[in-house]
Amino acid sequence: MSLANRIANLFRRGKVDNEIDAELRSHIAMRTEDNLAAGMSPQRARREALLRFGNPAVMHERTAEADAALYLQGLWADMRYALRQLLRSPGFAITAVLALSLGVGAATAIFSVIDVVLFRPLPFANQDRLVFPFMKSRTGSSLPVSVLNYYEERAQLQTFTAMAGWSTLDRVNLERPEGSISLRAAKTTDNFFTVFGVAPILGRTFLPGEDQPGKDNVAVLSYEVWQAYFNGSARVVGQTVKLDGNPYTIVGVMPAGFRFPLYMREAIYTPLHAPESWARARGMHWMRTVGRMKDGVTLQQAQADLDRVMANLAKTYPQQEEGHTGTLIPLAAELNGFASDGKMKGPMQTLSLAVLALLGIACVNVAGLLLARGVKREREIALRAAVGASRRRLIRQMINESLVLALAGLAGGVLMSWLLLKAMNVFLVEAIARGADVSLNLKVLAVALIIATLTSVLASLAPAIRLSGTDPNRALRGGSGAGSGTSLGKSQHRLRSTFVITQVALSLVLLMVSGLLLRNLQALFKTGLGFNQNKIIAVVLDLSRGNYKDPSGKNEKDPLLTFYHPLLERVAHLPGVVASGVIDLLPIAEWGSGYDIHIAGQPPYPKNAAMSSETRNVSAGYFDAMGIKLTRGRLLSPSLDRPENIASNMVVNEAFRRKFFSNGSDPVGAHIDDAGKAEGKSGIVGVVSDIRQDLQSPPMPEMDWLIDALPPKDRMDTLRNMFLMVRTDGDPKALIPSLRGVIHDIDPGVPFRSQTMDEAVNEQLTFERMESWLFGIFAAFALLLAAIGLYGLISHEVELRTREIGIRMALGSTRASVMTQVLRRVALLVLSGTAVGWILTLASSKLLASIVEIHTAHDLGLLAGISAGMALVGILIGIAPAREAASIEPMQALRSE
Amino acid sequence: MGDLHGYGIVLHIQRASEDLLSVEEGSLYPALHRMEQSGWVTSKWALTETKRKAKFYKLTPAGRKQLKEAEESFEQLVKGVRAMLRYA
Repeated sequence: MSLANRIANLFRRGKVDNEIDAELRSHIAMRTEDNLAAGMSPQRARREALLRFGNPAVMHERTAEADAALYLQGLWADMRYALRQLLRSPGFAITAVLALSLGVGAATAIFSVIDVVLFRPLPFANQDRLVFPFMKSRTGSSLPVSVLNYYEERAQLQTFTAMAGWSTLDRVNLERPEGSISLRAAKTTDNFFTVFGVAPILGRTFLPGEDQPGKDNVAVLSYEVWQAYFNGSARVVGQTVKLDGNPYTIVGVMPAGFRFPLYMREAIYTPLHAPESWARARGMHWMRTVGRMKDGVTLQQAQADLDRVMANLAKTYPQQEEGHTGTLIPLAAELNGFASDGKMKGPMQTLSLAVLALLGIACVNVAGLLLARGVKREREIALRAAVGASRRRLIRQMINESLVLALAGLAGGVLMSWLLLKAMNVFLVEAIARGADVSLNLKVLAVALIIATLTSVLASLAPAIRLSGTDPNRALRGGSGAGSGTSLGKSQHRLRSTFVITQVALSLVLLMVSGLLLRNLQALFKTGLGFNQNKIIAVVLDLSRGNYKDPSGKNEKDPLLTFYHPLLERVAHLPGVVASGVIDLLPIAEWGSGYDIHIAGQPPYPKNAAMSSETRNVSAGYFDAMGIKLTRGRLLSPSLDRPENIASNMVVNEAFRRKFFSNGSDPVGAHIDDAGKAEGKSGIVGVVSDIRQDLQSPPMPEMDWLIDALPPKDRMDTLRNMFLMVRTDGDPKALIPSLRGVIHDIDPGVPFRSQTMDEAVNEQLTFERMESWLFGIFAAFALLLAAIGLYGLISHEVELRTREIGIRMALGSTRASVMTQVLRRVALLVLSGTAVGWILTLASSKLLASIVEIHTAHDLGLLAGISAGMALVGILIGIAPAREAASIEPMQALRSE
Repeated sequence: MGDLHGYGIVLHIQRASEDLLSVEEGSLYPALHRMEQSGWVTSKWALTETKRKAKFYKLTPAGRKQLKEAEESFEQLVKGVRAMLRYA
């Protein structure tokens, strides 16, 4: 009979009873009939039948019990009894449920995240066939692919069904009557959708050849864009929209859930539309690739194929391609940031360890509580055994009580993990590619709960088994002091001491890690950025290409003359603006645009040295806007640095000077080897102070070029996506309305988006903030639980030893010495825990290194402080039970037995 | 052996054991119900030859297997006892 059946039987108890009755009665009736047939009198026949049968009532009861309906009835009674027992000691119940909720909740929340990030299948067909070639330059830095190389690779590769190129460098402006919207654009080769094998829900994807100029004004919408800006209309296919001022025909809509790259939530897919200069230069590496291996091809075979093609390229174009390597990484690993260079791998592992530690602390805590409770209840259990409760029955009762606890813990855990996920939501969406997909995971919840339930069941079983085996007489006579004198009681106390030490140790590890994390985070926030983040606002300027062509399409409307010049002129005169300028990459947030250079006249650099420099295009006012100081030479100036000059001029930063002029010579007047003839080489005219390009790295060498000096034909390509940096003396946000007004006055097609540099810093540190925040919470939970565990153990010990303490005092022990004795015990436990915690931390420092480096000497102050704080908390907790012990009245203690 | 009701089983046992095994007949029923829980027998209500309603039990394949195992272990026991007795 299934469990459901048994439970159903509870509700039709009457029916089952009747059935058993009928069966038993038919037996007796048949025996009676046979007896009659054998010649007995009716009376005798019936009596004889009953005699042979045995007591029908007893038989009925035993049969019904066999049907196990009774078991469940007993269970229900047990549950109610257990609930009453728990309500009678609310302190114990609340603590245990709280511990379980914290442990189960935290574990469920974190593993729900890990499940999405690590295990959930990608929204692509054949995801195990998808690979990402990770290309590296001679110096080992990451290197995208140039268009020309891509087409050669595509032609030569034999093990791939398709190898597609894509780029997400640009945003595009979708023009609507209500105003332009800036969308993320994935610009792809024609075979992009072939790689993923996902069919559109409307229309089609790109046809072969649609990435070629002339055919490439088509677009595929993501589901989100389709819903948000096209009202999910089925008639959208065939419609013409203006993207960046140019007409595009919408050919298809992708299903919900299809995203590539995964972090692109509101995306529009168009063919490449590479700027001409990029499409023609083999050395212009800007495209990423993703490929689908043919069925039956192994990763090794595909890798060998790629190696062969890379070798061919290096042979044909040694100047540009020699020394470049490509490693195939399964796409799933790459996308989730768990690839070799992924920054998520370590932290996620460590976070899961932290959460397991927390769950462990919670389990140990509950186990300790249950053991203590078991000791306290020895008498009750002995009494029940004495009045006839069987050993099995007692054990069942214990298990049921822990089940009730686990159920309450489940409810608390669900609430807890829901709250945690809710709180983490903002971080998740920003920091993890698929963070928006995270939700409470029931499977994970089930596992966490099973662990917690097993713990509490095992912990409650220990006293039950022991007690149900003892002679009730002895236990009863032993009085409430039972357990204190017996060796079993001692071993149990040793076990609980171990539990407390474990808790103290684990929470110390968590505290230390979160202390270090918080300190690092603080350091990052306080990093010398090189500018005042509180006074600067950055406005994104995405120009629509189509708006800078004249109607004939032949001549481009110069963005510098028609947009940037009037913009900078008018912004400079806005009230509240101290300085303003534009730059093509947002400081602290964007970097990686650069190339290898060589200073004219210096000996050749070693082949494998990374001698590259970042490069930026800026307006003359940019330096003042960021508060960058000139240290040598002069700044760039539109009157001196003109497009018609034969050689370009640039300003470099101090990091550049330190790297390329380490011998102390003056960079001003030096040139870089970027042209054949000496008079064409670009020259350095000034050196400026550093600001960070990447928040988490020291300043990199940087060359700044003046946008006014760009040749007119390059201006549109270079100046399409810029940032207007404005420094103010007041609240930078107060400038938003006037900045918006000026921009829309000059070009209404530019979507307005702005961010203070303070916000930009915060955004950069999303993951670090989440990490510190989570560890902080876990450490707080852990400390709380450890404190509860310690308090529970000590006060319980004092309670059990009331009689002993009473005797001691009667024999002349002072209150002070009693108190010292208790506190000494506390100190011993806490110090052992601290020692174990240190050992654990140091032993696992390699593992922890992925989130925080531990430099014992450097961090000694902090770590010692945390340990001392922990010890202090422990001693403070011990004071209450110690005073209780000291206030025992010897006479009363002795008499109470 | 086909379907038998509880009383039929009792009669069979008494006949087969030549009345050597005599227990309270009612104690058969908890045993039968336990066997049903374990999936060794199935039951259904039907009419006897004398048109009386009774619950009929039938051995399942699992029950047959269990029976065979029980028989074997009993054989072992008997063998063991017999071997012991030889030296008594």
